[in-house]
Amino acid sequence: MENSFDNDNTQHKNRKGIKFKQWVFIGPHFIFFVVFILFPMIYGFYASFTKWNLIGSPSWVGLENYEAILMDPTSSFYSQFRNGLVNTLIFVAGTVPLQVIIPLVLAVMLQHKGVKGKGFFQAIFYIPGLISVTAAALVWLLIFNPRLGPVNNLLGSNVTWAVNQPYAWIIIFMMTLWGAIGGNMVIYRSAMSGISNDLYEAAEIDGATSFVKFFKITLPTIKFPLLYTIVMSTAAAFNVYAQPLMVTSGGPEQSTFVLMMYIRNLAFGQGQSVAGMAAAMSILLGIVIVIIAAFQFRLMYRSSK
Amino acid sequence: MNSIKKIILGTASLSLGLIAGCGNDDEIVMWTPLTGEDGQVMDQMIEEYNSTDPEFPVSHVVTPDLYTQIYTVMNTGEGTPDLSIIHADRVQGFVELDMVEPMDDLMNTHDKLNSDNYIEQAWDAGTVGDTQYTIPLDIHSNVLYYNKDLLAKYDAEKFLDDNVVTFDEIMSLQGKLDEGQYAINNSLISWVLLAETVNLGGNISDEDGNPTIDTPEMHEAMEAIVEVEKAGLMTPNGEDGFAMFQGETVLFSSDGTWSSLAHDMVEDLNYGMTNIYAFDNETFHNRGSSHLFSMLKNEERSDEKEEGIADFLTWINENSITWANAGQIVASREVYESDEFKEYPQSFFTSSQEELDSLLIFDYEYYGYVEAAINLYINDMLYGNISIEEGLANAQNEVEDLVAQGHGADINIEAEEDAE
Repeated sequence: MENSFDNDNTQHKNRKGIKFKQWVFIGPHFIFFVVFILFPMIYGFYASFTKWNLIGSPSWVGLENYEAILMDPTSSFYSQFRNGLVNTLIFVAGTVPLQVIIPLVLAVMLQHKGVKGKGFFQAIFYIPGLISVTAAALVWLLIFNPRLGPVNNLLGSNVTWAVNQPYAWIIIFMMTLWGAIGGNMVIYRSAMSGISNDLYEAAEIDGATSFVKFFKITLPTIKFPLLYTIVMSTAAAFNVYAQPLMVTSGGPEQSTFVLMMYIRNLAFGQGQSVAGMAAAMSILLGIVIVIIAAFQFRLMYRSSK
Repeated sequence: MNSIKKIILGTASLSLGLIAGCGNDDEIVMWTPLTGEDGQVMDQMIEEYNSTDPEFPVSHVVTPDLYTQIYTVMNTGEGTPDLSIIHADRVQGFVELDMVEPMDDLMNTHDKLNSDNYIEQAWDAGTVGDTQYTIPLDIHSNVLYYNKDLLAKYDAEKFLDDNVVTFDEIMSLQGKLDEGQYAINNSLISWVLLAETVNLGGNISDEDGNPTIDTPEMHEAMEAIVEVEKAGLMTPNGEDGFAMFQGETVLFSSDGTWSSLAHDMVEDLNYGMTNIYAFDNETFHNRGSSHLFSMLKNEERSDEKEEGIADFLTWINENSITWANAGQIVASREVYESDEFKEYPQSFFTSSQEELDSLLIFDYEYYGYVEAAINLYINDMLYGNISIEEGLANAQNEVEDLVAQGHGADINIEAEEDAE
């Protein structure tokens, strides 16, 4: 009995030892997570119930910030939030589907046996994602420059793209897609490379067309990478900031002023910071992202059954 | 919650310190927002000062997003620079937040550091109540560049006779310009609007400190600018008016004095400087700001180091002619009255008392909100996307909401802790 107790005790210590070892591995990441993500998140949530200028202590105001943003049509924060959210949703709707479909089509095309230089083409599509948004914006603005740009000269147009709708959105969408398709395409190609050729050969023997093979073999097999990229692309699109800032500065008539631009301006704009209101808008944006991500994960979970 | 906040902000300021380079007791660490070519000119000036073998050499740290970083270090009290250059419109707010030290001690021991030795507006921008909080480096002003060749072509040189181009004179060019050529561009148009508003007797705040954007004066000023655009005399929306001036398709460009550096690099661009256009030649202003040396509150700054800072600021007062290379109007009287400074085009603004008086610096505590709100709506008002009434009303509403938020914050952490 005593031996048995000692044995259990030793095993318990071993188990503790193993747990400690796990913490050694996970510890550094955990510390960074707590300091740079968890604490700021919690503090940001607290700050959203305060007035705070980043210098002194926040003053507790309860739900005042949320009331101004959600319930008070006379408040400028109300109109900023609504306009910012609508514009962000337009950006999400305009880019996310294409960020999935275009890379998918390109990945399928590059999988074709007859295509030479696949690595070269993959690099061509991937490299724009490595270029800074600022540099990319300068290039795209030059391309769409009303006087000097090749687009207007080729089309014989005199449209001033960045200050007229829907052209302003078109530049932003094109620039975003140009930078984003490479990353998703690499993921899809990687997933497709794991599909056994036997499946395609068997389908061919059964007389399946390319169309049928894509929808019956390719798409179901890469379902998880596909859903992963949808979720990640959606979350990234909701956080859009740099592209409209660089291309249109939010114009014309604030029609490309996305929510992150309002949040950034409130917290770190000209003049004293309005960090409490900015935090409240951030929390609301976060809730929207969480709801949509949860819906997408739910879809993923259901389709996996 | 305070301790959590300090942990978060402490980590952030530690990171900033590591990035910016930690100072030591033997040098003066100076943060500036000079991210452009002016940063290189400042480096050159610091090098000149350090070559005099001062007791406390200066270490210049260009700090992008300066004010966010200042807020971070002030919140924790860690990594605060010994000296920093801030803009004129920040002084009132920083004093309200108890973030800056008065310059009294430095002024008492160094004769050069007094109001007589600087451009009045630049000096006054650092005065709150009866206390001086900053020592000025420069004024960087709005200016009207003109293309000499185009003025000659359109017989518009006479516009410059009294050094003030008026709205009427600009409007007289209607229908006279070749296709693709314009009278004026829209660079720094919000600064122009503010100057015109003051020309008409308006201001951006009332005596009680309330913002005044949606006023008859600003409405009239905006209407006058819109008339120029409607007459087809202003560069079109979305066009790069700055580049068009350099491309010699625009007669006048309302820009900053610092843009002369870029204009000088354009071959054959034959340009000059004059005052921003106005309603008449009697009342005219050139809206500007000022780079000001300030000492953010820092318990660790020793008296000896403050003495070293005073020595540096005195040296700047005597030797900042180098700063004219950045296209700025040097604030030191000794420099701007020198023959050497008169070689620079921006010396136009120090050529007479009338020109000096035209320099307009806003010191309203919430100026940042005002300029941001005007910038948000001015292009849409200018090019007819929204009415002037709507634009000014929205801008007014936004600034009022922001001011209400600012007033509501509990701002003085030191006082609060002392009270506890």
